[in-house]
Amino acid sequence: MGGYGDVKLLREDGLRLDGRKIDEMRPIEIEAGILPGADGSAWVKHGLNIAVAAVYGPMEAHPRKIQRQDRCVIDVRYNMAPFSTSDRIRPGYNRRSREISKVTSEALESVVICERYPRSKIRVEIEILSAEAGTRCVGITAASVALADAGIPMRDLLVGVASGKVEDIVVLDLDKAEDNYGQADLPVGILPNTGEIAFLQMDGDLSPDEFNLAMEYNFKAAAEIHEIMVDALKRRYEGGEN
Amino acid sequence: MVALVPTLLRQELARLAESGARLDGRGQWEARDIVLETDCLYNGEGSAKVVWGDTIIYAGVKFEMRTPWPDRPNQGSLMCSAELRPIAGRKYEPGPPSPESIELGRVVDRGIRESGCIDMEKLCIVPGEKVWGVMIDIHVLSDQGNMFDACALAAIAALRTAIVPAERFDVGEDYTLKVKSTPIMASFTRVGGRYVFDPSAEEELGGDERIHITLGDEGHLHSLQKGLKGVFTPEEFAEIFDVAQSRCVDLRKLVANQEGN
Amino acid sequence: MSQGQIGAELRLVTPGMAIGPLSGKRVGSGALAQNEQIIATRLGWVREMNDTVSVDPINAAYMPRSGDLIIATVAEVRNNLWFMDINGPFQGLLPMSLAPWKVEFGAARQHMGVGDSVMARVQEVDECHNVVLTMKGVGLRRINEGSILSVPVNHVERIRGNNNETLLRLREICDCRIMVGDNGRVLVDGSPEGISWARSAIKLAGNSGHKQTFSADLSALEKSAPKRGDA
Repeated sequence: MGGYGDVKLLREDGLRLDGRKIDEMRPIEIEAGILPGADGSAWVKHGLNIAVAAVYGPMEAHPRKIQRQDRCVIDVRYNMAPFSTSDRIRPGYNRRSREISKVTSEALESVVICERYPRSKIRVEIEILSAEAGTRCVGITAASVALADAGIPMRDLLVGVASGKVEDIVVLDLDKAEDNYGQADLPVGILPNTGEIAFLQMDGDLSPDEFNLAMEYNFKAAAEIHEIMVDALKRRYEGGEN
Repeated sequence: MVALVPTLLRQELARLAESGARLDGRGQWEARDIVLETDCLYNGEGSAKVVWGDTIIYAGVKFEMRTPWPDRPNQGSLMCSAELRPIAGRKYEPGPPSPESIELGRVVDRGIRESGCIDMEKLCIVPGEKVWGVMIDIHVLSDQGNMFDACALAAIAALRTAIVPAERFDVGEDYTLKVKSTPIMASFTRVGGRYVFDPSAEEELGGDERIHITLGDEGHLHSLQKGLKGVFTPEEFAEIFDVAQSRCVDLRKLVANQEGN
Repeated sequence: MSQGQIGAELRLVTPGMAIGPLSGKRVGSGALAQNEQIIATRLGWVREMNDTVSVDPINAAYMPRSGDLIIATVAEVRNNLWFMDINGPFQGLLPMSLAPWKVEFGAARQHMGVGDSVMARVQEVDECHNVVLTMKGVGLRRINEGSILSVPVNHVERIRGNNNETLLRLREICDCRIMVGDNGRVLVDGSPEGISWARSAIKLAGNSGHKQTFSADLSALEKSAPKRGDA
């Protein structure tokens, strides 16, 4: 987490700088099936974050050495567009995006029924077009809607959500200032129907009680985001069958 | 991954060409629907989204402050590059920038640079010390045919909405970047033996070489590029050059209308 | 939490959503049993038939099954076999011995090259997705004429219709030969006008072939069909 101290993140009235309550999410909009050439796709706007995810596959896994005889592999690429942040991001190899891609892939492999497609690969491409803190969570949400849109069997959808701590107060869904100057960030990937957790990272400083409260906020928010995801998938197809 | 070209597709395209028809019923020089949107990204100093048929492109402009090249102490710089990431389609694979994405970026770059629409001296802040570097990044989300024209359109539309972030760099107040003209690219692909404007993904798959033409406000050529395997005659070029003139006028109007809003 | 109730006519479910209590029912494809509940694993429509609850997926990759009639395209030729693109995750293999011709070793290329398309049947699929094709059988052949269209695999049934009635009607209107492959490839052969009409009709059938309005929509489109004998 960034610097502490002199930046005020909470107002006198207890609300946050952007007027949100401490357990209030930024607004979220989701659209499924926006890329005509992909097998599945999704567009997610979460606050000022914009993520687009595409799914291609299942297809034969190449090169051979990544093939698994008993299941498919999920090949995730998380990438931030050069113009997604205030300072331009140089395209190319990047340790941060490699790490996020790895853990996101493992999280998605935990919800997709991978045994259905031996020796295959499912490509998941996550592009962040606009970034305002919490992009990995928005990417997870987008990827999971895109996988469902592609007709890939899954035990549950996966919802990306984060809580954190600013000025010693636990808050839900950090924005950019809170992410830069706050004291902790706890992004998780939640299976909303089973209540399990498939993605977990954290940095900063949280007491056990603060952790529990942050997780409570995350679960509450995951249920809300899940409804928006389901709504997006239904909107794309409902009215189709009768 | 090399795409598989079905023999029957080539046959059908050739047969359609004889009767002057196209797979989707368009005329030889007719474009698909194009929707241009500007200022659509929060962190770009200028941005545009182009939905051209099923092809979807984003472009964003960023500024950086840098020291000028020693031989041009009072000039800033402009660079346009394209990322053809694997999200763009099934055939695109991860890895270092492919020759295709480098070509795409450079062809769009030349058209904008050589049109002289940006006065490089106006990008100077302190001669010999500080100048603006303007970067246009093109991001292809979906390649479903005629990606080059869509990218060039997104790039110039984004550039024309760019605000110089002087405040953030502590060198005065933000101001609109002056862009003197609107260079536009029109590309032609040989499909079934004859050229068409704005090929669809299927036409590109079963087609041959392509020619990219970038024209300025006065109809002058600013960049040309012939790509892919195939040859053409001067007469064929004369014909598409002529068509390019009117296509570029139409596309330029699209940019102007967007700015008028 | 979104929880659908059993009983509604056609319900759209998303992965992870509870379809209803297990209570002795069998769990079909697109669903699984968990804590006495039936849970959907795919985005699709709930189907309950003979006490089996399953989900008909809205989107699905083509997964070959033995006996499928498919339209395939040669992707690679070896001395004694062809690798075929079958619009699925894995290529299908057509050995020389299952081709309709008598092929000498090393002469496979003389019969079919890369890019050529065929009507074939899936002979065999093993659990590792190895797919063997055959061209021995009635109607299986190399395709020399016509146009191949792509449709989503889950639209195949809609284009055929009940007892093939939609398909027969389409054939009748445009006077084209139309073959619908189980792998989402459709062969249309006839006059250029007929093919061009069939393109839009097949798109319509795919998108709304299952709707009540389809018959009327098709009749409207029929007006723009080329007159028989014109071409």
